[in-house]
Amino acid sequence: MATKVLCVAEKPSIAKAVANHLSGNQVTVHNVQGNQFIKNYQFQYNFPRWGHSDVTMTSVSGHLVSQDFNSRYRQWRSCDPVELFEAPIDKYVENDKKPIERNIEVRARQSEVLFIWTDCDREGENIGAEIRDIAVRSNRLLADAGKTVRAHFSNIERAHIIAAARNPVTIDEAQSNAVASRIELDLRIGASFTRNLTMSIQPMLQDRGGEKQVISYGSCQFPTLGFVVERYFRVRNFVPEKFWSIKVMHEKDGVKVNFSWARNHLFDRMMVVILFERCLAARTARVTKVQTKPTSKWKPLPLTTVELQKCGSRFLRMDSQRVMHLAEQLYQKGWISYPRTETDQFDRGMDLQALVRKQTQGGPWQQFAHHLANGGFSAPRNGRNNDKAHPPIHPVNFVDPSVLNAEERRVHEFIVRRFLACCSQDAKGSMTTVALLYGSETFTAYGLTVLERNYLDVYPYDKWTSSQELPDFREGEVFVPTEARMHEGLTSPPGYLTEPELIALMDANGIGTDATMAEHIAKIKDRKYVETRSQGAAGRAGDDDISDDDEPPPVNAGRGRGRGRGRGGRGGAGANGRGAGTTRGVQEFIPTTLGVALVEGYESMGFEISLTKPFLRKEMELKMKAICEGRKTRQEVVEETLAQYRVVYNRTQQRLEDLRASVRKYVLGQGE
Amino acid sequence: MAGPAASPEVIKAIADYLRAKHFYPTPAWLASFMASTRPNTPMPALQQTALFRLLSSDLTSSVQRTPPISIFPPDISNPEIKERKLTGPVAVQVLDVEDIGRSRWSQVEAIEAQERGEMTKGREIIRVVADESTTDGEPGAQANTSTGASGPFMFLLQDAAGTKAFAFDMSPMANVNMQKLSIGAKLVLRDLLVARGVVLLAPNGVEVLGGKVEAWDTKWKAERKAALKGKADLGGEDG
Repeated sequence: MATKVLCVAEKPSIAKAVANHLSGNQVTVHNVQGNQFIKNYQFQYNFPRWGHSDVTMTSVSGHLVSQDFNSRYRQWRSCDPVELFEAPIDKYVENDKKPIERNIEVRARQSEVLFIWTDCDREGENIGAEIRDIAVRSNRLLADAGKTVRAHFSNIERAHIIAAARNPVTIDEAQSNAVASRIELDLRIGASFTRNLTMSIQPMLQDRGGEKQVISYGSCQFPTLGFVVERYFRVRNFVPEKFWSIKVMHEKDGVKVNFSWARNHLFDRMMVVILFERCLAARTARVTKVQTKPTSKWKPLPLTTVELQKCGSRFLRMDSQRVMHLAEQLYQKGWISYPRTETDQFDRGMDLQALVRKQTQGGPWQQFAHHLANGGFSAPRNGRNNDKAHPPIHPVNFVDPSVLNAEERRVHEFIVRRFLACCSQDAKGSMTTVALLYGSETFTAYGLTVLERNYLDVYPYDKWTSSQELPDFREGEVFVPTEARMHEGLTSPPGYLTEPELIALMDANGIGTDATMAEHIAKIKDRKYVETRSQGAAGRAGDDDISDDDEPPPVNAGRGRGRGRGRGGRGGAGANGRGAGTTRGVQEFIPTTLGVALVEGYESMGFEISLTKPFLRKEMELKMKAICEGRKTRQEVVEETLAQYRVVYNRTQQRLEDLRASVRKYVLGQGE
Repeated sequence: MAGPAASPEVIKAIADYLRAKHFYPTPAWLASFMASTRPNTPMPALQQTALFRLLSSDLTSSVQRTPPISIFPPDISNPEIKERKLTGPVAVQVLDVEDIGRSRWSQVEAIEAQERGEMTKGREIIRVVADESTTDGEPGAQANTSTGASGPFMFLLQDAAGTKAFAFDMSPMANVNMQKLSIGAKLVLRDLLVARGVVLLAPNGVEVLGGKVEAWDTKWKAERKAALKGKADLGGEDG
């Protein structure tokens, strides 16, 4: 007797791909009444655990179950928004998803095993639990131990899928619970604050003839907006200041060598004049150090979601949401691994060389892949992050780029090149440092010679080029510099926040998950809290050196960044003057008057914990994590978090006039 | 209460101790110090207390203006003099200190971020990420947001006679910076080089005795932001 197995994936495309892999393309396809996208795929498969089986593979389409307040509370003006902190929540299936629900109920009744194939992340775990609950409703036997299982997979490459089918695991209730509490908190907090905010502000905007607009609050949206507004004010309030430096040039063997001042520059003209005079008085400079050392430019780390979004914005000029959408498509078509991952280290067990060999079939990187396959392979660097669920984003199969559409092709090419770069060697060079003592001051010149480009050949997004070759200097050599002069400069304001910077800030401060950051950014655009524009190229001339977060600087210029890359954070910027050129043409965010008014309004309420700052949300994300790790229950987290936000809500309520004043000031242009 | 007649030996022992530290206390200051001590305090404790009090005092009233070698020449700030050397030792107090390695505005921003409680909330820290938009080829021309003691620093020093002079730290010193020195802190300078009226501080010529004048330090901290803003608004003209 064949065992009857019901498989359910998160999306139709996955169901189709998995069904084809398991059946060897021997499937019969049945339509599902009432939904043209969902299909049932029937085939035979021999599972080690259940033996010869009749399999039905179907899917849902994301979450099946919706949640909203009980109808008594659903109307905006039906209750005081504060009641939403405890109003009863109904769970239901939307009408357009009823056919999917029915399909699962019917199929479950005939099945002995339920095999969940939702994506392996928190959301997928929760969707899996929804599917199970519906299935168990019509077939109680599926609730028995071992009768409902789940596949653990991170890409839909054939061998990987077959391995997943043969090694089922159980649904992770903790992760599912974390999502459940996040959904409840977002609903209660979002709805109460949004209603309150909209009802307080909307009439003011309408008086002005504005459209009737929902002014939403979201615990991620607001801190995201907060970052944009904060930078906006930094730019606006910026005060330029003069600074002075000493520049020394010495011509030797026909080469003009520029030496930079160890003190960089000072903001005190008198002091620079005094030091400069002492240089001139000394007349001669003495070479105190000549050193040539091997140096390297590190190959990039394996690709995480956050990094993909930042690079997409920087190198491909695509916003994070677009990049994620395209990556999702590439994943569903089976070309790349699951694109939502925090992991920047490849598992030791992975056969990376086999993956490299797949890329020797074609594409502009074909030659390079051949080179790696023929002995050029070098194990990737390991980052510090491992979400223990998915590997770094990488190509799982070869696809001829010409079958992809233009945008997909660019994202795919980036992912392939990044992967090959990871499997290549660091670029090698040699760095010569010449230090001078001139008066009391030290000056240094650097010369870089790139010896082996290695990964740079396949990864054009990084640039590293030889500088002018330094003439031969000897330690102890004394000379009168050809030229020494004082230079005056002016500080320039920071730029408006760019998308890669915003993502880095969200990441560093725990706003959203790598999977949801792009949505929050899109949300504050939708709500007209911010606008984006292309960052002007003006004033950004100069070196086209492209720096990367995880690169060691080519010169180790005193204070400044360390080598290791922490998540988001890193040492002092600007110490080595690199970084230009990377963001040309990148989108930058400028808050609208409404965006500014909201942030300033909440800020002016003077709470210790502002809604526009990341702390509260970060705490919530940490609590989600605690649920996943079994340190807290869903109930505890929901109660604690609601209590925190309720305090803020009540205080906001008492200070609404501050918010209105801010709207009058910034949106309506009525002075304070 | 003070013994009505602190013995001359006791007074001398205290004065000698302070002199060994290059402070020549005025008789008036010594007398008032003695008046505040308890009888029968052991000598080492008295000496320690005297030094501590002196480090918290205004040198212009607590310390003698002699010998001449222990004070700045009255025209020390004369920019006409290209270079001169003073042997010292000169005891001085810090009246002001400024980080001239960073723009004033970046320092104002750092103070404001702290005021908003943004840098820290309990033990949490808002993590800032480096500007990726850093412009132009001028290294660090951007307002530098890096934290910590950087410098170099420009100090305003004052000797016992009340003569003031600017001083610049030629190389970073672990104990001569904005974090370590309070306003009113005492230094002893030796073999000092003065260029165009600015004392060039070298590590082997500076002895830090520390201390602070509470009232000055409080006032300086309270006014620092406004002072930085004022200077930044001048576009950093000269300094």
